[in-house]
Amino acid sequence: MKEWIVRLAGEIAPSGSEGRIASVLLDAVQDLADETRMDALGNAIATKRGDGPHVMIAAHMDEPGVMVIDIDDNGYLRVIPTGGLTASETAFRQVTFTNGTIGLVCLEDGEKRPEQFDQLFIDIGAKHREEAESRAFIGLSGVIGGSVAELGNGRLLGRALDNRVGCAVALQAFRDLAQRGLHVSVVFTAQNAPGARAAQAAAFALEPELAIVVDATPASDVPGGKRTALQLGAGPAFKVMDAGTVAPLAVKQLVEDMAHALGITLQYEVWPSGRSDTGAIQLTRAGILAAGISYPVHTAGAAEAMVDLADVDATLRLLVASVEAYRK
Amino acid sequence: MLLKTLSEAFGPTGFEDEVRNVIRGELEGRVDEMKTDVLGNLIAVKGAAKPGPKVMLDAHMDEVGLMVVQICDGGADAGLLKFRSLGGIDPRVLVSKPVFIGPDRIPGVIGAKPVHLQAPEERQKPIPMEKLYIDIGAKDAADAKSVVKPGDAAVFATRYAEFGERAAKGKSFDDRVGCALLVEAMRSEVPYPLYGAFTVQEEIGLRGARAAAYQIQPDIAIALEGTVCFDVVGAPSHGQSTVLGKGPALTVQDAQTIADRRFAEFMWETAKRHGIPVQWRRVKGGSNDFGAIHRVGKGVVGGSISVPVRYIHAPTQVVSLDDVENAQRLLQAVLKEIAEGSFTL
Repeated sequence: MKEWIVRLAGEIAPSGSEGRIASVLLDAVQDLADETRMDALGNAIATKRGDGPHVMIAAHMDEPGVMVIDIDDNGYLRVIPTGGLTASETAFRQVTFTNGTIGLVCLEDGEKRPEQFDQLFIDIGAKHREEAESRAFIGLSGVIGGSVAELGNGRLLGRALDNRVGCAVALQAFRDLAQRGLHVSVVFTAQNAPGARAAQAAAFALEPELAIVVDATPASDVPGGKRTALQLGAGPAFKVMDAGTVAPLAVKQLVEDMAHALGITLQYEVWPSGRSDTGAIQLTRAGILAAGISYPVHTAGAAEAMVDLADVDATLRLLVASVEAYRK
Repeated sequence: MLLKTLSEAFGPTGFEDEVRNVIRGELEGRVDEMKTDVLGNLIAVKGAAKPGPKVMLDAHMDEVGLMVVQICDGGADAGLLKFRSLGGIDPRVLVSKPVFIGPDRIPGVIGAKPVHLQAPEERQKPIPMEKLYIDIGAKDAADAKSVVKPGDAAVFATRYAEFGERAAKGKSFDDRVGCALLVEAMRSEVPYPLYGAFTVQEEIGLRGARAAAYQIQPDIAIALEGTVCFDVVGAPSHGQSTVLGKGPALTVQDAQTIADRRFAEFMWETAKRHGIPVQWRRVKGGSNDFGAIHRVGKGVVGGSISVPVRYIHAPTQVVSLDDVENAQRLLQAVLKEIAEGSFTL
C-alpha cells in the first residue's frame, strides 16, 4: 500500500490534467477488469462484472494546482488557481508543471502580503518571452509542494497525499473485490478540487446500486482545530455529513457493524464546508445510495498533507468488508 | 441587420420572448424543426437522423437587466420604482441611465441624489442599488401602477450603432452576438446532427442550458459567448482577459469550467490552419453555458468561442465587427473540421 501511495503521489495531476495518472491507475487494474475507459470529463473507470449488486468505489485523483494564463515580454508567467489554492499558500514556493517545467512563485515588488493571484508571477528562469513560450503555454497546469517523506512512525507527509491515498485504497479494494467475484466498478474521478465536477458523470453512466467514496477529511487534533473530534491515527471516519451530503442511515449502520466486527475504531466525519464527490454522486439520476469512508489528514484540500498509514490500512479493510457485506 | 435587431430586442433574464421570436423568424424554413421547451429555451434541429457526432451549439438569449420590486406610494417618492438587478450589474454603471420597462418599453430613467446635495462622505463611494430608483415621470403611485407592476423587468434603452473603425456599440452584446453567430451557423449544411440551443436565464446561473443539454444529450457542445474585455487604460496583459480586434477568444479555465484541453487545442489549431486570428481568454472569473452543459448526463466534450466585449454587463457595450466575423469564420471552420473527422471523440 505504502509503495502505491508514494508512487501515485509522485504523479502531477492538477484538476483538468489527470490524463497521465489515469493511465497509471487503469494499467494497475487492467488484468482484472472487463472494461476500462476514460470519459468526457476525464474520469478513469474500470468495471468487473460479477455477482450481486453493482457497487461503485470512487476516489478523486486530481489535486489543487495553478494554470498559466499569461506570459509577458520578460518571460514571466501569470497563473490562476485550479481548485482551492490561495495566493498566500502558493507564494514563495516552487511550482512543477505537468510538462516538467519548474519555477518559483514570486510576489510583485512592493506588495506586503499575497492576497490575490494577480499579485503573483512565476519565474521559470527564462530570459525573454520566446524562451518562456518554449517551456510553458497558456493553459499549462502545475502544482506546488514537496515529494512524500516518511516520518518514521507510520506517518507520511507530502504533496497530493489528499487524495492519492484514496486512489491507492480504491485501487486495492477493487482488486480484492474483483478477485472475489463481485460486480464492482472503480472510478478515479477528475476535477474534484474545483467543486466535485466530474464524479456525477461517472455515476450517471454506471448507475450503481451503491457508491462508496474514499477521500481525506481534516483531523481536528491540531491547535485551533474545529469541533469535529477527528484524530489522526485514530481510525477511518464515516462521513455523516458535509456541505453536499447527509449519509444514508442504512449504509452508516452497515459500516458501523463491519467496523465492530473487524475491531476497527470508527470515527465520525461532520464537515460542514467540504464539497465532496459523495454529494455529487448521491444526487445523480433519481438518486444513488452513496456514502463516504474517509481517512483523517492534517490539512485537507491543500497542496500537502500528513496521513497515518494505520488509518489507511483500516480504511481499506473497512471498505472491502462493507462492500462484501452489502452483497449479502 | 440581425445583430442590431437582436441587440435592441427586449430580453432580460426570464423575459426572453421577444428575442426568441426574432430568432424563430430568422430560422423559419431553414431548419428541420424548432421547439420551445418548458423553461423557454428555443431548440433548432437539423439532420437529427444523420450519423456522426451530435453537435450542440449554444447561445443564451437573456441579458442582464433590472426588475421592479416596489412602486413607492409614500410622500415625495410616490410613483418612483424600486428595483433589483437581474444578473450581475455593477451599481456604478446605473446612475442616470435611461431604461425601458417591459416589452411595451415604458421609458424611465434611473435617478439618484444630485452631486450638490451629497454629503462629502457620500461622494466618496458608489451609490448602492437600494438608493437608486427608476423614474417613469408618473405624477403619483396610482399613475405609476397603471402602467407598471412589481415583477416587471427593465433593460437599458440603448440603440445599436456602428462607429469608429469596424466597431459597434449597443446593449446586450453578451450574448446577442452569440445568438447572431448561432442563427448564421444553423444555416450551414453539415453531415451530422446539428442542434442550436438558444437558452434562457444564463445570467443568473446558467439555468436554461442544463435543461437544453439534458434533452439534446450532445456528443460535442460549443457555447458561443460575448466575454470580458479590458484592454484599456493601464490594464496589464494578465488583467485584460481579451483584446478587442484580436479575434475570437478560447477558454482554458473560467469559474465553472476547466477546458477540455484536447478540444481547446483542436479549435486553436483549426483557427491557425484557416488563418483566423484567435486569442486565449486570460481570466478565471466569469463563466458561460458550457459550464453547465459539460456536466450534464455522462459528461460532454466541448468548449466555447467568445467574442470580446468591452464594458460587458453595462448599458453600452462595444464589440469589434472583425471579431464577430472571425468568430463566425472560426465556428464554420470548426464545424467543417468536425465533419472531416479532425476531432475524434
